[in-house]
Amino acid sequence: MKAIQILFTCAAVACAAGSANARDVTIAGWGGNYQDAQREAYFNVFAQKTGLKPIETTYLGGLAEIKAMADTGNVTWDFVIAGGNELQLGCDEGLFEKLDWDAIGTDGLLPEAVQPCGAGNVVIGNGFAYNTEAFPQAPQDWKDFFDREKFPGKRGARNTPVMNLEFALLADGVAPDKLYDVLGTPEGVDRAFAQWDKIKDLLQYWESGSQPVEWLASNNVALSTTYNGRIIMAKREGKPLEFVWKNHLVNMDVWAVVANSPYKQFATEFFKTINDPANQAKFSSLMPYGPSNTKAASLIPADIQKDLPTGDNIKDAAFMSDAFWVDHMDELTERWNRWATQ
Amino acid sequence: MSATIRNPNAGRLAAVILLVLPLAVYTLLYLVPIGSMISLSLDNGELGRSLRHFSASDAADPDARAAALLADMKAMNGRQQAESARALNQEMPGFRSLFINTARKADEIAPAMSGLTGFDKRWADPRYWEILDHNAGTLTSRHFRRATGLDFNEEGRLGPYGDDIYLQVMIRTLVIAVQVTMVTLVIGYPLAYAVANGSRGFSNFVLISILLSFWTSILVRTTAWVILLQTSGLVNTALLALGVIDEPLQLIFNRFGTIVSMTHVLLPFAIIPMMNVMLTIPKSQADASRVLGAGPFETFVRVYFPQTLRGVMVGGSTVFILALGFYITPALTGGPSDQMLSYYIADFVKKTLNWGMAAALSVMLLAAVLVLVGMAGALNWVTSRRREVA
Repeated sequence: MKAIQILFTCAAVACAAGSANARDVTIAGWGGNYQDAQREAYFNVFAQKTGLKPIETTYLGGLAEIKAMADTGNVTWDFVIAGGNELQLGCDEGLFEKLDWDAIGTDGLLPEAVQPCGAGNVVIGNGFAYNTEAFPQAPQDWKDFFDREKFPGKRGARNTPVMNLEFALLADGVAPDKLYDVLGTPEGVDRAFAQWDKIKDLLQYWESGSQPVEWLASNNVALSTTYNGRIIMAKREGKPLEFVWKNHLVNMDVWAVVANSPYKQFATEFFKTINDPANQAKFSSLMPYGPSNTKAASLIPADIQKDLPTGDNIKDAAFMSDAFWVDHMDELTERWNRWATQ
Repeated sequence: MSATIRNPNAGRLAAVILLVLPLAVYTLLYLVPIGSMISLSLDNGELGRSLRHFSASDAADPDARAAALLADMKAMNGRQQAESARALNQEMPGFRSLFINTARKADEIAPAMSGLTGFDKRWADPRYWEILDHNAGTLTSRHFRRATGLDFNEEGRLGPYGDDIYLQVMIRTLVIAVQVTMVTLVIGYPLAYAVANGSRGFSNFVLISILLSFWTSILVRTTAWVILLQTSGLVNTALLALGVIDEPLQLIFNRFGTIVSMTHVLLPFAIIPMMNVMLTIPKSQADASRVLGAGPFETFVRVYFPQTLRGVMVGGSTVFILALGFYITPALTGGPSDQMLSYYIADFVKKTLNWGMAAALSVMLLAAVLVLVGMAGALNWVTSRRREVA
């Protein structure tokens, strides 16, 4: 009995003593090669500079976990890499800390990367890819993606209107800088759906980013929307895949600090680390996504540069608008779901 | 002494109460989350608590309404503004940014209709004000309206004017659950029979095969089906090689794939209860039936099968209820028109933070299950009474 009492007292004391910084600094990322590259380029540097021992966890998108942390006060993550859409919603609702950009510094950063609650860090090219052995001539642009006569076979796509409607308008000849003017009108939305109507029966939905690579490599689908990084990595492993660098849609993954994180005093150091051109160049050479710091470009070798969504490839790219999607997500998702069902 | 005479069962009663206590606690613990889910589906959140001046203002006086709205906006903090704006955006796309931008500049806007329309001309559109009217209370029907496809028309009357996609998904969910239950029972019954009546070695082998798949992760089993059934998968390759087909069949990312993979996952839940019931049936009954002149078929239909129906009911209803909640398996093996209600519930929880809508859809699913269970119960009661009477 006595022993149990002592045990309980010890446990209580340990809890009380450790409650302020009971856990190590926790970084949540997308996992896989992507997080491996970030560990090498950023986390290890951050650990060295601060003496902290970061532990990592996987973030699966959405705001549910982060809202639960805010609602219950049990904050278990400190730094998280989110999508632009989530960042904007979460920032407005107080789920992320506001950043002190005067202390962090904005030297060389793309203007889109500097946001109240986050730092855009990874520039991603969203486009489509094909198997080089599947067709005698390669598809050139979004028109080809929606052309079932010229390129017969199944199409991989995500089950969401986000980006898919933009892709359809690009195929319909809308200029990249006019995308959201058109998509903001009911006629524009109809135009986008009319494109998808043409290949509706060919659609095969992917859930995880690895599926398009597998499906294309095994000729399960003829063409698939995808992230440039996945295809380039597969290409480096020798798979006969190619990403179409024409009118791709650019978005950014954004680092943010979870509200009331016990490690928020290290935020400035963290953001300096991830914004550093040399660190970003290292990341891009490990993982073919673009840097948000324009000064990183000169540090990246040319043979890697050609596979990135930035640099020469960004010329006729379109920028995805998070503001548009925060406003229209509910409405257009419902319409997409209905369209998919019918 | 007299007390014991008056109630000789007091001790037993106490024991019964003590025995029932854990069940009562368990039931309560089970009801609490359901209650909070129902309240979440009706709760108007920050929006209902924050529009105090507005709901008290005179609906006929536009300037008073504008001033009251601005006063409410000023009283909210940033998080409350954002949550309210998100709720309003569910009714009308674009309302979110309109509300947030106006609220952030509320101090600078003149408290009159002209002030608001001067800031953003969208405020002149009566639809925005109607939406505010519908959502000013602490309770909201917004989520249930959207879940059931009811909406207000231009004259403000409630009717089936909305999009009934979630009702259709609900029906699809029930249809898939019924299909899976049927297939599971048809495949499961002979297997359960084999385990219960086969030789020892054979029934052990079948049982271990069933349990082995039961212990494997659901994700692994689902992925295995993808590998087997895809266009260049094992099944198609084998059929092509044998010359049975000329071009690959579409076996997955459609309803067929969904049902095959769901059936595989749920099969043990049907087999085990049926097997348990079959094991209790004495083998001597079959001999008795034969001796009395019935052939093997008649013995099975008239003696054996009716006694196993209880197991079929338990197995079938377990599979049906479990199937209703599936979403990972259909997401990985189904096509666009095979996604079940839970998929959309998860989507609302994770992606759009619309927990009210997720709760409303969950309540709808729960209600459908209760109605079906109630109907099955009533049917059971009626048939058993008829049997007693006969």
